[in-house]
Amino acid sequence: MSVEIKPSSPRSILLGPITGFILVVGLAFLAHWIKLRVYDTQLPFGIPGKVLEYPLWAALIGLLANLVLRLFKAHGRLRGGFRTEFFLKIGLVLLGATISFKTIATAAGGAVLQALVLIAAVYLFAWWLGGKFGLSDTLRAVMASALSICGVSAAIAAAGAVHAKKQEITYITALVILVALPMMVLMPILAHWMGLSGAVAGAWFGGNVDTTAAVVGAGKIYGAEAETIATIVKSTQNAFIGVVAFFLALYFTTVVEGKENRKPSAAVIWQRFPKFVIGFILASILFSVGLIPAAAKAAPFNAGNVIAAMKDWAFCLAFVSMGLTISFSDLKQMGWKPVAVYLIVTAFNTVLALGAAWLIFGLLFPA
Amino acid sequence: MKKISLNEDWLAVIIAFALLLLALVGAISPDWTKF
Repeated sequence: MSVEIKPSSPRSILLGPITGFILVVGLAFLAHWIKLRVYDTQLPFGIPGKVLEYPLWAALIGLLANLVLRLFKAHGRLRGGFRTEFFLKIGLVLLGATISFKTIATAAGGAVLQALVLIAAVYLFAWWLGGKFGLSDTLRAVMASALSICGVSAAIAAAGAVHAKKQEITYITALVILVALPMMVLMPILAHWMGLSGAVAGAWFGGNVDTTAAVVGAGKIYGAEAETIATIVKSTQNAFIGVVAFFLALYFTTVVEGKENRKPSAAVIWQRFPKFVIGFILASILFSVGLIPAAAKAAPFNAGNVIAAMKDWAFCLAFVSMGLTISFSDLKQMGWKPVAVYLIVTAFNTVLALGAAWLIFGLLFPA
Repeated sequence: MKKISLNEDWLAVIIAFALLLLALVGAISPDWTKF
């Protein structure tokens, strides 16, 4: 007896991601609804109620839905619709349309300086410590990139450059989100407790929290200035992905694999460059030259409010997706050593980024 | 024929600018997007 296996039709291939996307939208509405009801609540110990902003609810609801979907074995079919980075990038470009280019240009000097200091120090420390704990070269390259640049996207770029195993990428991705989620809430509380200005707090979040979504979330919780500076600082770090990926590929092909004649092309710097940064800057320029404000004024509705709200919706979809994509089972497979390295380097990054943010955005380039 | 590929970054930029344009021409009401 022969069994005929029919190939999946395009319709059935798309059904899962589309259903996943609809689920993300539905959960984002739920997160928004909860936020409206608890936003003014005063927390114990004088913690501001603003900590209960939508990024927290969206991520928590996403996490709960994630557990339920895995319980009913539906997660795999729907995960194509959980596009954290994609929603985040749409939100970041929309955010650019509300920020003056002067703000970006003013903060850019400090952001580049801070990015250079933190990327170099955190990367080298993570690489060294990973070696001491006996982690493989590919795993510590992926981990060091995630910790020093920008979490998931840096991990993927580094994994491509060093030919890391797929298991190592999923592991680091899970670790990044699991650590970033509590930091998104804790860091604004700590910044509030230390009385940091919006600029210093934003630079601290941008230099420390590993994934861009959680950086934006922490900034949003702390206030508008922190959100702007955190985004600029993190986007600047994002822009270095290509450079790091190039040098990693160079190091691994020539030193680790010993293939002198197969040096990577410098084109990788452009290939890995996060193109949304161009959209973010372009939108900011259009805002700064007055095109967007003039068009917004002429619009029948308050277009400025619409743009700001659409940005928040895009971020909300990103936070829901972040909660939906975390995988605890990936973490179990690697043991305690990578977790220990990751947490120690995160603590080092937290202290170093605080010092750098205070020195650069508090003293050298005050907003 | 040259194959055109569009990565996630560019697609996000295109969608964001499309939304911007729709907001600026008044095609999106604040009531629909209120956050």
